[in-house]
Amino acid sequence: MTNRSVLGNSVPRPDALDKVTGGKQFPVNVVLPGMLHAKLLRSPYPHARIVSIDAGAAEKLPGVKAVLLPQDVPQRKYCPVYFVPTLAPSMVQDMLIMSDTVRYAGQPVAAVAATSAGIAEQALELIEVEYEELPAVFDPDAAMADGAPVIHAGTEKNVAVNPVISFGDVEAAFEKAEHIFEGTYQTQRVHTCYMEPRVCVVDSDVAGNLTVHSSMQHLFGLREKLAFALDMPEGKVKVIKPAYIGGGFGGKLDIGYIEPVAALLSLKTGRPVRIEQTRYEDFISTTRNPIKVYLKTGISKEGRFVARYAESTLDCGAHATHGAEVINVHGMFGILLTYPCPDQHWEGKTVYTNNIIGGGYRGYGSPQGAFAVESQIDEICEELGFDPVEFRLNNSYQQGDPHPFNPAAKLDSYRFQDCLQQAAERIDWSSRKPAGSDQGVRKRGIGLGCQPLWVSGCVGFPDIYEHSGAIVKLNRDGTADLSTATVDLGSGQITTLCMIAAEELGLAADQVRMTYADTDTVPFDAPSHASRVTYSAGNAVKAAAGEAKQRLLEVAGGLLEAGPDDLEVRAGMVCVKGSPDVKIRVADVVERAEAPFVVMTEEGPQPTNLAEKGTIIGLSSMAPPANPSPATVEFVEVEVDTETGQVDVLRVVFAHDLGKLIHPAGAEGQVEGGFQQGMGYALMENLVFDADSGACLSSDFLDYKMPTAVEMPVKIESIFIESDEPTGPFGAKSLSEPCVTVPAPAIANAIYNATGVRVRELPITPEKILTGLGRL
Amino acid sequence: MKQLISLEINGEVHELAVAPQDSLLRVLREDLGLIGTKKGCDSGGCGSCTVNVEGKAVYSCMTYAMSVQDRPIVTIEGVGENGKLDPLQQAFIDAGAVQCGYCTCGTIMAARELLATVSSPDEEQIRHAIAGNLCRCTGYQKIVDAIKLAAANSA
Repeated sequence: MTNRSVLGNSVPRPDALDKVTGGKQFPVNVVLPGMLHAKLLRSPYPHARIVSIDAGAAEKLPGVKAVLLPQDVPQRKYCPVYFVPTLAPSMVQDMLIMSDTVRYAGQPVAAVAATSAGIAEQALELIEVEYEELPAVFDPDAAMADGAPVIHAGTEKNVAVNPVISFGDVEAAFEKAEHIFEGTYQTQRVHTCYMEPRVCVVDSDVAGNLTVHSSMQHLFGLREKLAFALDMPEGKVKVIKPAYIGGGFGGKLDIGYIEPVAALLSLKTGRPVRIEQTRYEDFISTTRNPIKVYLKTGISKEGRFVARYAESTLDCGAHATHGAEVINVHGMFGILLTYPCPDQHWEGKTVYTNNIIGGGYRGYGSPQGAFAVESQIDEICEELGFDPVEFRLNNSYQQGDPHPFNPAAKLDSYRFQDCLQQAAERIDWSSRKPAGSDQGVRKRGIGLGCQPLWVSGCVGFPDIYEHSGAIVKLNRDGTADLSTATVDLGSGQITTLCMIAAEELGLAADQVRMTYADTDTVPFDAPSHASRVTYSAGNAVKAAAGEAKQRLLEVAGGLLEAGPDDLEVRAGMVCVKGSPDVKIRVADVVERAEAPFVVMTEEGPQPTNLAEKGTIIGLSSMAPPANPSPATVEFVEVEVDTETGQVDVLRVVFAHDLGKLIHPAGAEGQVEGGFQQGMGYALMENLVFDADSGACLSSDFLDYKMPTAVEMPVKIESIFIESDEPTGPFGAKSLSEPCVTVPAPAIANAIYNATGVRVRELPITPEKILTGLGRL
Repeated sequence: MKQLISLEINGEVHELAVAPQDSLLRVLREDLGLIGTKKGCDSGGCGSCTVNVEGKAVYSCMTYAMSVQDRPIVTIEGVGENGKLDPLQQAFIDAGAVQCGYCTCGTIMAARELLATVSSPDEEQIRHAIAGNLCRCTGYQKIVDAIKLAAANSA
């Protein structure tokens, strides 16, 4: 690894100035001349066949320009998930833009484009839909029972996918186990709560080409899915990269209804069409799938995992979408690979119901797994008298072990033990008291939760795109422009990637600018998801910057009379290694390369060196070499009011093994924001549904409670355990998702330590705690 | 039926035709192009649309445009003087309080009311002042740091 001059510093975010002065570049602000506004009519029934639709009155309403009905829509079944090929065999193609059958309350059945959103809304009320109601089912176990309503023809017992993974001989291993523990752990349906709504503007030209603006996490995924759903060539769809979007967290990781509907309405009218979802529509668009985990664990006398058996039932709602992949990530990284155990068996079921659809959400199945695994470890330790930190230390992978997901790779930079030990010391773990021993009404407790193994992208996962690309172009003022398809969701992708390019080029961080991109002009990039951008896109940016630097050194070499290998770039100067005084400004080298080939002098026109001519530019398009795993540990201290059941989180200590740290303040921001999401998941967030219709009753933030500044702990302490990941850009691996995964089990375990009450169902509401205390 | 009203926004008086049900948020964004004020929920639950009316932080999505005639309104576009950033804006940058940034302007407007009334607010006062401004990225810690920093820099 080389010395780092840019990386490791909390440089100002390049996008911050714009955002504190108004944030002009959010997709929600896109306005085009002649733009129409569209609204979707949604089914009030959870399962029904559409008998007829009469939109005559709506079409006649002044201001209405087009109506879209199921019969106007291509009937091509697709999988909406961005990061897989549309027809990926491991996914399920069960969605249509509009269909004659509705499978959840809220599914769109018609759309109207009008000169204002108000007129479009008025027009929806004039559309008459006759439905034939069908029996509906909302519970995944009931959906798998004999005689349950069939939600998608051709599926057995409403099971969309049914992965089974086994290692060794689990039955024999259970027979040898000294102790066996069993438990069932249930998580709820929550929303990512990005602040910017899902919104798009789609325009079309006379030749039927589409230009798309959208608040989404993946340019190329949107292009692919939209082209497929509309049955048109990808080359006719151009997706414009937003400078940034107002949060995603996995909630904008699949094509919505809005983009294809806006596209079809634009093609019908020849005008740009905008659709902005209401908060209620956002709530019912994508959610974290609830999973019920039955977990049985065999433990040896010494306190080692010897056998594990698990069954996970995921409620994907009316369409499989992400549920076909979440279940696998959940099984592997949420359960099976968390700690080494030689004999394991896991079965996952992604089950159709007439609930709203699931989706991607930070952690992607691991929060549901960690809640089960980490809660049960606490139960095991409590019962058998093991210290939960020691127990995990004794059951963990070691640095240098073969990677359990890809044994061809090694856990080269793995620092789980250091995370455990340093964070335990910081929280003063040794002072922890026995469960429920605190006297008085308000009881304090400490707990921990871990994500011992996570990913830096998706290398090794079947069917998932992972390559990235970048273009780095040097300017005559000595700055560089970086363009990539990577979308900044807010987590700082622009900052990180500009810093990596600057480090490679020998420039200051603010001399690299993230610039325009669209699907026509830059190489493919996989989405901003799966904790992958720093590692995967970072490697691609480093390669593109490296190529530009190589060219820079070649041109500079001619001027300094040195070979490119004898040169280096530092602080905006190209200099001879070992002779720092022999140097030339980067700006002057670029100026020379860009200068006219023939220059006019007093002696007449003189040719310059042809070989040095041309823009200094680097391009990359590549997959990363590996998928190194970070590790995460979190301790929390809570205070539980045993009269009200109210939980206050007093203190949080987070430790993460992230390779080399790139932007300390940005990394802390990931941890602190991740804790807010995880704490909401643990204690309060829950989408609530009507028992008869399955309709979502949570319609806005008055009904859906997420932590505010008042509920949040005053201080979240981040410990970053650095190591040099050999395959990472300047030693980096990943951070984002485990920040969200670990809070729920840590809080659940801390509540147990405070009160002696074990809650195995999220969210842990005051009612559940009081019930556990025998007070309700 | 639209009516003509005048609104004083960022020191400038605008003559506008608005319907009785028009929110201040809609008028700011769609009629005046003041897009720094954001719509996050349109139902008084997130705070992204916060502006100052007579110095008070209000949700513009829950405020009828007609109800704020003759009451000076300040939006994020009117913050800062002589082309310089307001201390709150600078502090949000310096403290790393900006991630996706969608809630940022609303939160700055809420903090503006606080700093106008309390010169050096404590942790609890700050957290209560922004309790109506949801952020999903930052966990609020660096936002609180930024408001403290702005208070210190304004002292």
